[in-house]
Amino acid sequence: MKESSELSVKPIKCRNLWHVYPGGFTALKETFLEISAGEVVGIVGQNGSGKTTLVKHFNGLLKPSSGAVLINGIDTAEESVFNLSRHAGYVFQNPNHQLFATSVLSELQFGPKNLGLPEDEILARVEETTELFQLHAIIDDHPLRLSFPLRKIVAIASIHAMHPSILILDEPTTGQDHNGAAMVRKLIQQLRSEGKTVVLVSHDMALIAEVADRVVAMWAAEVIDSGTPREIFSNSTTLKKTMLQPPQATQLSQRLHGRVLPQITLTVDETIDALAQVADT
Amino acid sequence: MAHHLPIPVTFVPGNSWFHRLHPTPKLIWAVGALVLAFSTRNPLFLACFFFLGLLFVILAGVLTTYGRVLAILLPISLSLIVFQAIAPAFPQPWIPIARLGPFTIYQEGIYSGMSILLRSWAGVNFAALLVLTTHPSDLFTALQKLGVPHELNFMVSASIQLVPIVQREFLIILSAQRSRAMQATGFGAAIPSIVPVFAGTIDRVQQLSMSLASRAFGSKGHKTNIRDIKVSTKDYVSGIVGVAITIAGTWLLISYSEQLDWSEIAFLPGWLSVTMVVGAAVTFIGTMIYFWRKANV
Amino acid sequence: MTAEIISIEGLTYQYALTDKPALLDINLSVDRGEYLAIVGPCGAGKTTLALSMNGIVPHMMMGEMRGRVLVDGRDTTQGPVREMARTVGMVFDNPEFQLSQSSVLSEMALGLENIGVPREDMLQRITEALEIVGLSGFEERSPMALSGGQQQRLAIGAALVMYPQVLVLDEPTSNLDPIGKEEVFSVAARLNEEHEITIVIVEHEVEVVASYADRVIIMDGGSIVSSGGPSAVFTDVDNLRRVGVRPPQVTEIASGLAKRGCTLTTIPVTLDEAEAEFSDWA
Repeated sequence: MKESSELSVKPIKCRNLWHVYPGGFTALKETFLEISAGEVVGIVGQNGSGKTTLVKHFNGLLKPSSGAVLINGIDTAEESVFNLSRHAGYVFQNPNHQLFATSVLSELQFGPKNLGLPEDEILARVEETTELFQLHAIIDDHPLRLSFPLRKIVAIASIHAMHPSILILDEPTTGQDHNGAAMVRKLIQQLRSEGKTVVLVSHDMALIAEVADRVVAMWAAEVIDSGTPREIFSNSTTLKKTMLQPPQATQLSQRLHGRVLPQITLTVDETIDALAQVADT
Repeated sequence: MAHHLPIPVTFVPGNSWFHRLHPTPKLIWAVGALVLAFSTRNPLFLACFFFLGLLFVILAGVLTTYGRVLAILLPISLSLIVFQAIAPAFPQPWIPIARLGPFTIYQEGIYSGMSILLRSWAGVNFAALLVLTTHPSDLFTALQKLGVPHELNFMVSASIQLVPIVQREFLIILSAQRSRAMQATGFGAAIPSIVPVFAGTIDRVQQLSMSLASRAFGSKGHKTNIRDIKVSTKDYVSGIVGVAITIAGTWLLISYSEQLDWSEIAFLPGWLSVTMVVGAAVTFIGTMIYFWRKANV
Repeated sequence: MTAEIISIEGLTYQYALTDKPALLDINLSVDRGEYLAIVGPCGAGKTTLALSMNGIVPHMMMGEMRGRVLVDGRDTTQGPVREMARTVGMVFDNPEFQLSQSSVLSEMALGLENIGVPREDMLQRITEALEIVGLSGFEERSPMALSGGQQQRLAIGAALVMYPQVLVLDEPTSNLDPIGKEEVFSVAARLNEEHEITIVIVEHEVEVVASYADRVIIMDGGSIVSSGGPSAVFTDVDNLRRVGVRPPQVTEIASGLAKRGCTLTTIPVTLDEAEAEFSDWA
């Protein structure tokens, strides 16, 4: 009883999670993970490392082969995706897999309608989401006529309208141009300020460095490291194993570390500050 | 990849006698099998033919793959027996054998249902033998030599490649929409599941056509082929035998169609007919429920 | 043989049912053996420009074209796209979408079968091309079972067997993971350096582009707004910001420092240049 009240505090908790696909392939093993409310967690690793398998457990699309996953205290093993979608919203990597309606407005209404919310509640949520995501100009447009970056934004917005406390974003900046990536970055900051918990699966190390509170690194179906971006990018063993490269700013600071800079930096601004300080002395 | 999908439509590599046979005789057999199967309704002949095809499938070593298709589609096609039993596609008069609630089961119905089932499956067994033991490129080269235009050939082979892909995309889209609290059944699920499949397929085909044009697809003139299919005596012999059996067999089946018409003779006692129909219905509904539940976890 | 392999003169293209042109009066020439990168925001016309280089624009699109595109002296409007196949190879952004055959070998052979190359020659070309893209021994594998990076390298190989002089790649790494991206950039560099194939690549990965490209053009709203070597183009930070393109992070850092009054010898565009620039700052 004490345990269950402890557990219900954390939005996401994985206990010795294993997932074996029919046919015998072990996609995930021995995974222990806890994500706190309001955290932005980046899940990184090459394709096939188990990242997508892991996050699909968070809204019940996949059920554990053994072990447990608790979302806002609810054991996902017996819960339907329908019910879990109120808690955890999963934005798929390819917006074309989710967009189908004739207007952006209908897309935003889809999730809340499916949840069976009353008309006025749906209206309010759509208003709010349109405002937050700045979708006024395109609200009546056909989603499939929008540019790819905008489609991704609409896909995130349509999940947001369901008011989940947890958002899972699968590669939100892949295939984006720089403007689109900047929009996503801003959105994630806004989601954080709303108190949402964000799980970010991404190859974009610059994005991770800028927005993530914590990074979980995966390799060969296992979590091999977990820590702040600074800790992960400083760990050459983790980087070598996952074959990931930190953002260019970080790489520069790593090359200058010791001789010029006292510590490694994560972002452009941080590097400018650090080097400016060195120049002033 | 393909083995995770419900209906595998792929070539299974192997080294059986059937694999080594030239695609053309196999094509002849597949077509011949269909012609023979549809020349009669006699259940004994069809059952034997069905098992002959199945034997060949086993000998070719492709039973495991084919077995999966059979395991899904056979129970579903049992529904044919159920529907035919109460409403035969057969000339009147019908002989009633038993009553099952508000429905009457007719002798011709059972006969007709079984014959349609067996005809289709006897034919499918040989078609499966062809597809599972022939590399798609070889099959299409053979068709080309028989005069099928290259572009048509390509369209069909590329479409077949697309089948597992479209299946996979559909499953992804279903997951994506379920993540938006869409219930996976009912009318409301149709458009959100299907529109993205269409849009995605159209995108894919557009890019494919640009890629093909960039590799000179549609060029006039002589085309060469990377695959080298050697023809040997056994291929000619098999082909000729196939044609001969088809023609002779069809002629015999039609000449003796009266003697082979067992619709009056293969008289099933009432209790057996009812059991069969109920059994088929239960298996059919059971299979549907099984798949519905699998899709809705 | 002229130094120019591609010559684009006054190219304007407007897609049907749109209210402004996708390309407006483009003048561009690409030299043989050059590695040209095209960078810009979504909707700038980069894909339209790339597709005009083998005639897909205008032949496979609906719209109006003015001006002309000459590739190896040949006007792209004079014949269908298939006749350009031996001069220009095209690689698109979705690796899987470009593949239609059941084996790597068949996919590689597709183009050669279309032009009637004899079988023995086909096998030789295919073996060579597979070696260049790092897929030797993959002949019997199913393309659908390959990783994204492998699939894209297969697409490159399938274009290579035609012995093109130019390879145009439209956002080839946008759907790939970091390993896949590295594989594709590596192959493109190899083709350019070791086999003298002209490379035209549309990309968002400016940091990679800065190290490999001979020349970079920035596009915005259908026009070329900047053209020159990576150093010249990426150090014009204010122009880039206006267009919506981020320069390499090291360039942003250096530019930010310069704005704060620090003195720099050069504004770097690659990591090596940046390291050299800041190493003696201690």
